[in-house]
Amino acid sequence: MASSGNKNINAKLVLLGDVGAGKSSLVLRFVKDQFVEFQESTIGAAFFSQTLAVNDATVKFEIWDTAGQERYHSLAPMYYRGAAAAIIVFDITNQASFERAKKWVQELQAQGNPNMVMALAGNKADLLDARKVSAEEAEIYAQENSLFFMETSAKTATNVKDIFYEIAKRLPRVQPAENPTGMVLPNGPGATAVSSSCCA
Amino acid sequence: MSMEATELQDLSDDADYAASQQQGSASMMRSDSGKRSLQSEHEDAVLIYLKDNVAIHPTQFASERISGRLKLTKQDSVLFLSWIPYKGQTSNAKLSEKDRSLYTITAVPFTEVRSIRRHTPALGWQYVIVVLSSGLAFPPLYFYNGGVREFLAMVKQHVFLARSSEDQNVFIVNDFQSPLQRTLSSLELPSSLPVASGQSVYPLDGGSSSENQRRTSSDVGNRVSSVSQSGFRKQKSHDPTRDLSIHLLEKFSLVTKFARDTTTQLFSENNGFGSIDKRWNNQPVHSYPEKLSNIAEEKHHEIRHSYSENDLLKDDEISYIDVPADPLEFDKLSLMWGKPRQPPMGHKERRNDISPSIKCRISTEYFTALLDSEGRVVESKALRERVFYGGIEHQLRREVWPFLLGYYAYDSTYAEREYLRSVKRMEYATLKQQWQSISPEQAKRFTKYRERKGLIDKDVVRTDRAFEYYEGDDNLHVNSMRDILLTYSFYNFDLGYCQGMSDYLSPILFVMEDESESFWCFVALMERLGPNFNRDQNGMHTQLFALSKLVELLDSPLHNYFKENDCLNYFFCFRWILIQFKREFEYEKTMQLWEVMWTHYLSEHFHLYVCVAVLKRCRSKIMGEQMDFDTLLKFINELSGHIDLDSTVRDAEALCIEAGENGAASIPPGTPPSLPLDDGTLYPQEDDVL
Repeated sequence: MASSGNKNINAKLVLLGDVGAGKSSLVLRFVKDQFVEFQESTIGAAFFSQTLAVNDATVKFEIWDTAGQERYHSLAPMYYRGAAAAIIVFDITNQASFERAKKWVQELQAQGNPNMVMALAGNKADLLDARKVSAEEAEIYAQENSLFFMETSAKTATNVKDIFYEIAKRLPRVQPAENPTGMVLPNGPGATAVSSSCCA
Repeated sequence: MSMEATELQDLSDDADYAASQQQGSASMMRSDSGKRSLQSEHEDAVLIYLKDNVAIHPTQFASERISGRLKLTKQDSVLFLSWIPYKGQTSNAKLSEKDRSLYTITAVPFTEVRSIRRHTPALGWQYVIVVLSSGLAFPPLYFYNGGVREFLAMVKQHVFLARSSEDQNVFIVNDFQSPLQRTLSSLELPSSLPVASGQSVYPLDGGSSSENQRRTSSDVGNRVSSVSQSGFRKQKSHDPTRDLSIHLLEKFSLVTKFARDTTTQLFSENNGFGSIDKRWNNQPVHSYPEKLSNIAEEKHHEIRHSYSENDLLKDDEISYIDVPADPLEFDKLSLMWGKPRQPPMGHKERRNDISPSIKCRISTEYFTALLDSEGRVVESKALRERVFYGGIEHQLRREVWPFLLGYYAYDSTYAEREYLRSVKRMEYATLKQQWQSISPEQAKRFTKYRERKGLIDKDVVRTDRAFEYYEGDDNLHVNSMRDILLTYSFYNFDLGYCQGMSDYLSPILFVMEDESESFWCFVALMERLGPNFNRDQNGMHTQLFALSKLVELLDSPLHNYFKENDCLNYFFCFRWILIQFKREFEYEKTMQLWEVMWTHYLSEHFHLYVCVAVLKRCRSKIMGEQMDFDTLLKFINELSGHIDLDSTVRDAEALCIEAGENGAASIPPGTPPSLPLDDGTLYPQEDDVL
C-alpha cells in the first residue's frame, strides 16, 4: 500500500508479464536509464527503487521485478502482495505474451489489492514491423478492465518514465483530496499515451 | 628456520606459552621494580587509563573467556600496561583462579613493548596484540565495548607511537637506538603525527567512515615513510616490522589454544592436505608445522583483502544498533578459517614459454598420473580433495568434470569411457532427432513444443552473451546451447525447460566443447539439481529450509533476526541456490566454485555452507541496518560481483567442519543435490500453461 509521510510516499510496484516481454529492461531504463540488448533472465526476483516527483508529492517506487516463466508463478503472490501498483508487460510482437498479460490482470483482480493501480505496457514498441498486437486491441482490453495502457520501448526509452509517472499520479495518496481515491479513469479511445485524468 | 621452529615448539603448548608469558612479565616486573626502587619508590603510579570488559579468549568456548580490566599507569615517566582478570566471576568452574592468573598482565613497561597491532575487523570485536621486545606477545585483548582507538590515542600521549609504513595496523613503540635519534624524531615527527587528545581528533582507529579512515591511514603512512626516507635510514633498517621473527611471533599470538588446536589439526597432516573429517576440538595438540608461518602470513593478507577491498561486503564500522555477537568465536580469530588453496590442479605443470597445445597435454599428463594403467581413478577421494582445495586448471576441466558430475564412473577404464562416449553420442543424436523431425505442420499442433522452443530461444540469446565464447550474431555455441536444452526437454519431458537451466549449461558447454558430451554432463547435473526446477518449488523449499537450519545452528542471533523480520523463508537466497551462484561471480570464478562444490568432498551440501558464509560476512550490516525483506533482497542481489570467492570458500569450509554432524543432521534427507529418495517418477508435475 502506498503510505504517506507528509507528501513523501512509498509505493510498492510489481512488474508481471511473460518471459522476455521486457520487464527488467523497463525497470533498468527507468531506474538506471540503461538498456542491454540481451538482458539476462531474472532469477527469483529483483528489487529496485526510484523516486519521482509528482504534483506536490515525492513518490518513492519500490519496484519488484519478477521472473516471467510460468514455472515460477507460485512465487508471484509473495511479490504482488501489498503492492500499490502493478505494471503488466507484454511484447507487442508476441500475441502469446498479450494473452499471458490478460491472465495476470485476472489474477490481480481476483487476488490483489482492489485499489491497486494497474498499468498495461505494450513493450518493444520500436519493433513496429514485427507488431502482432494492435494498439487498439490492447486499448480496448485496458478500458474494459479499468487499466491504463501505454506502448513503451525500453530500448528507445519511449514512454518509460511516463508510465511510472502516470502510475504515481494515480496513487490514491497523490491525488488531490477532492478526487475519490482508488478510482482509475480509463483512457479515451486511441489515446495510447496519457490518460485524461484529473489534474489539480 | 630452525630457530623459528624451536620457538614454534615452545608456543605450541598452551600451558607453557601462558607460563612463559607470566614468567616474562614477572621477570620484567622484577627488573623493573628494581629500577623503580632506585628511582622513585615513594612515588605512586598514576592511573591514566582504565578500560573495563577487555577480555582474552583462551579457548573457543564462550564460557571460558576471561574478562578483566585494562589499565595504563604512569610512574616516573614510564608507562605501564596491566590487565587484571576480574575476581570471582567464575561463570565456569573449569576456569580456576590459577588459569586466570596465568593470563594476568602485571605492569609491563612500555620500554619493553615493541609494537601494538590493532585489529578492528568489520565483523566482530576489536582487539589488540601487544608484542614485546623479547619477541613474545600477549594473547589478543578483546575490547568488548570497543575503544581500541581511544586506547591507542592514550598510549600515544605518553610514548612515541609510529604507524608502520608497511602495515597500517601496526604501531611501533619508540625503540630508537640512540638518544640523538630519539630527539630528532621528537622534533620532526610530532607535526606529522599529532598527539591525539581524548577526543577523536585524529582517527587513529576506525574513523567515522571507512573511507575517511583509509585516506587518513595512507596519509600517515606516507608521511612516516617520507620522514624515514629523508632522515632516518637507520631507523628504517630497524623497523621491527621488517624483522621476520618478530613479525611471525606477533602473528602467533593470534593463535590461542583453540586456534592452535584447529590449525594443528588442519595443517599437521601430509602437507596440510590430510583428512579433516574429524571435529577439531577433540584433536590433541601436535607440534607446530613450519608451514603455519606461511599460513599466518596468508591469513593476514587475506583479512586485509577481504575486508578492505571489498566495499560492498565491508560492514560499516559503526553499527546503527547493537548487533548481537557472533556466537562462533573463531569468526574473530580469522587465522583458523579454512585452509589456503593450492593452485588449480595441473597448474604447476603449466609454463608460459610453451604452446597452449603442449600446456594442455602436460595438464592432461598430470591428471593421468592419478589414474591406473587402464585409466581408472585410483583414489577418487584424493582427486576430489585435490579439486576441493584448489580447483582445476582450465584445460583439465573437460577431463575431470565428467567424473565430478557423475557422467563417468571413477572406476571406469579408458576403454569403457571411450565406449560410453560413442554410445552416448548415438543416443544423443536419436534424442535430438525427436524434435528435429517435427515438421512445421506438426509444430502447429504441438503447443507445448512451440512454447518450450520459444522459451529456450529467448533464453539462449541472453545467456552469457558478453562472454567471448557466446558473443556475436549467429554464434554456433548459442545454437548448440539451444539444441542441447531442447533435446533435454525431450529427454526429460516431465521437467522440461526452466529458466536457470541455460545458466548451468553455459559453462558446461564452454568446458566440454562438444555437444553430446555437454548434454550428458548436463543430464548428470540435472539428476541432482533437477528438483531445483520442480513446478512445486519443492527442491528449492527443501534447500532454503536446510539453509535456515544451518544459520540457526551456526549463527543463532542472525537466525533470530530473520525470524523477527519475517525473512525466514530465505527467499533472498533463491538465486544463489537455484543456479549455484552462477550470477554472483564472474565466469571463471563460477567454474571454480562449481567444481569445488561438485566434489561433495566435505558435504554434498557445501553450497549451503557457502550461503551461510556470505550471510555471516554481512551479518552486522544486515542487522545493523535493520534490513527488512525488501532491503535484504536488494542488498543480496547487489552483492553480485562483490563476493571474494577464495575467502568465502574458506569460510564455508570452516563452517562446514564446525557444523559437523549437527550440520549434516540439519539437512533433510533427499535435499538436492542429494539424489532423490524415491525411485518412482522423477518429476511428477503438470506443466500447464497458467
